[in-house]
Amino acid sequence: MRISSALLALAALALPVALAAQAPDGWQVPRTSDGRPDLQGNWSNATMTPIQRPAGAGKVLTPEEVAEIEGGRQQFIQENSQDSDPDRGAPAVGGEFTGNALFDAASGGTGGYNLFYIDAGDRVAVYNGEPRSSLVTIPDNGRVPALTDAGRARAREVALARGEHDQYDNPENRPLAERCMLSFGSNAGPPMLPNYFYNNNYTIVQTPDHVMIMTEMVHDTRIIPFGEKPAVSEDYRPWFGVSWAHWDGDTLVIETTNISPEQLRAYGQVFAGGVGNPTITERLTRVGPQSLNYEFLVEDPETYTGTWGGEVPFVWMPERVYEYACHEANYALFNVLSGARAQERQDSGNDPDRE
Amino acid sequence: MTHRPPARRRAFGNAAVTALFAAVMVSVSCEAQSADGARGDIPRTAAGKPDFNGIWQAMGNAYWDIEPHLARPALAMQDGPVVPVPANDVLAMGAVGSVPSGYGVVVGGKIPYLPEALERRNENRENWLDRDPEIKCYLPGVPRANYMHMPFQIFQSDSKFFIAYEYAGATRDILFEDPGAPEVDSWMGQSYGYWEGDTFVIEVTGQLDQTWFDRAGNHHGWQLKVTERWTMLGPDHLMYEATMEDPDTYSEPWTIRMPLYRNIDPNARLGQFKCVPFVEELMYGELRKNPIRKP
Amino acid sequence: MISKKKIAVFGVVAGALTLAVTGQVIAHHAFGAEFDRDAPIRLEGEIVRLEWVNPHSWIHMRVQGEDGDEIWMVEGGTPNVLLRRGLRRDCLTPGTPIIVDGYQAKDHSLKRANGRDVTFTDGTKIFMGSSGTGAPDDAERLRQRQERGRC
Repeated sequence: MRISSALLALAALALPVALAAQAPDGWQVPRTSDGRPDLQGNWSNATMTPIQRPAGAGKVLTPEEVAEIEGGRQQFIQENSQDSDPDRGAPAVGGEFTGNALFDAASGGTGGYNLFYIDAGDRVAVYNGEPRSSLVTIPDNGRVPALTDAGRARAREVALARGEHDQYDNPENRPLAERCMLSFGSNAGPPMLPNYFYNNNYTIVQTPDHVMIMTEMVHDTRIIPFGEKPAVSEDYRPWFGVSWAHWDGDTLVIETTNISPEQLRAYGQVFAGGVGNPTITERLTRVGPQSLNYEFLVEDPETYTGTWGGEVPFVWMPERVYEYACHEANYALFNVLSGARAQERQDSGNDPDRE
Repeated sequence: MTHRPPARRRAFGNAAVTALFAAVMVSVSCEAQSADGARGDIPRTAAGKPDFNGIWQAMGNAYWDIEPHLARPALAMQDGPVVPVPANDVLAMGAVGSVPSGYGVVVGGKIPYLPEALERRNENRENWLDRDPEIKCYLPGVPRANYMHMPFQIFQSDSKFFIAYEYAGATRDILFEDPGAPEVDSWMGQSYGYWEGDTFVIEVTGQLDQTWFDRAGNHHGWQLKVTERWTMLGPDHLMYEATMEDPDTYSEPWTIRMPLYRNIDPNARLGQFKCVPFVEELMYGELRKNPIRKP
Repeated sequence: MISKKKIAVFGVVAGALTLAVTGQVIAHHAFGAEFDRDAPIRLEGEIVRLEWVNPHSWIHMRVQGEDGDEIWMVEGGTPNVLLRRGLRRDCLTPGTPIIVDGYQAKDHSLKRANGRDVTFTDGTKIFMGSSGTGAPDDAERLRQRQERGRC
């Protein structure tokens, strides 16, 4: 795809803008009344940078690479904002496929809905001034390590269990996000990662005793007390796990274990199908008026052949986080299940509704 | 104007007792005075505001029915040979499904419904199984969220006031600047809060008309405005007041008032009640490939 | 004729160095499971009601069918994104004529479709998207659209 010089110039402007998110000279971190760095407010981790590093990319993107990526997104946005033909007909029977595997998988060839509902992030992730090719930075190749034998065995069990029912047989066979139980993508986590579509927003509240992090989708709260690891049994596995926090200088450190196995299974892109009981360590440091550095580490030697982790820039969001009620108006789940039943009736010749 | 519950008058018929009382009063400084049920110093934040941080829960049975009421056999009834009996759908619950009595939290006793709204309330009761949003694990709205049978936790700093509810993981982030009319309707509404002395006042607008006040069919319309007043009485008690205004539904504003109690158990933590999967059989069971309930 | 690429869709641009999401994107649900690729539709009619809800907004519209008026529900995206961009539900009023192309729900007893492309009768998109260049640009673009009575 050719990028016009105008777009290159535009994208070249983008880089200094991103760098401006770094702290101005003399900036000091605002503090709460108990003297701690104030991390409170609304934050977004939306970005174009993927979780894992694409083959052949270096850790830090060159200005040309940034221009191509961000310019490409600009071009895509502009193309899709143009007026449509008012005399357009219905789309093609059999679906309309763009050739982009990811989009086609998400839309199933139906085209989804208009781009104006999307807020996927228009910039690559800039972390400590570096435009990044991936959020994962540990190990050095920017990719989640291979599974151990035990991890692979667990992943196989999960796949087999999934195969017992067809994916449309029961509501329980549908993805957690479609059931409005969690967000798609590891938004609440931990680790807290973007979903590459929309609503990648968080509200952080800080008191002397607790940090509370609410994820916009699905209004999920992580309530994290300061102090020692709570005494919980091995089989106590709540959503988002059991977390405890402490301050390491001006960095907030959150440790988490005991994440619900169902949650781990749901985030295949992050947890590779293995279940285990990872220890997640998160480090949050406010580095500028609009910048929060977020590091995470995943330790699960039973499941992975190595520790892995990454760095995600969180950007101050001046707008509001709105209610994402989800279950209360979940027509989509009804439509999917009733559609599957209608399809079965049609396939068995028993469908009175088919024209 | 700060809300102050009425002072309790004390009568002392004995000079010695009076002297003893005076001595005690002098020695205990800063004791919260005049508030009914005061239990000592109100905790304060570094900025001097009453500190609501912690886990709170209502006692009493307001969540069943906020008006005064006697115990009832069940929330869904059917005609019986002699008296109404629990409906088939709830029969197996036995006394677990019975409604306990309640002394009521509505100031004045009765909600001042307009005639049509009262009819609708009564229809809600007769069709409780179909209509109560709690059954479907829908978000509870305000004020119901504050006196459910599950606690909530307040996170308060100098710049934030956030309430996390155990039931359905409902949340409220109280805005400190008046955003004006809500841009969109929501289940938990838009909350704008400010201090009046030591009382935190929250104005809640923009709630959908689908939430109830309790399990007894008490309802509201789109115009509902709720004004809450949160006042600490002591370290472990607060008085919660909510005034409802909705000219489409009520002939005048009306108020509920009840204490809320801090959970002082050092092991207490807010639980998770993400109930959406609990109601999938109820809501989607008929759409299974092989339904387990026969029609 | 408008090329297919220009019909508004969501997704990530493919390209030599474009960093598409690697690994499996778990979209919150599969549109292909909800809507029937073999049942394309084109609807022209008036807005009756906007359901500004999550996980998907819905536009209810009145369409003239063979046997009289039909009410169709058209699926959109999350309103939260639009709200943050400064758009308000009230700017799209009942009675406004719109054109929708998409695919009908797999359960054909339901008059529901995905709003693959939803426009006014002159082809303009019903809502303003992000410019991708930042909030001040977006505010100005929105102001200009609002001058024309648009969201």
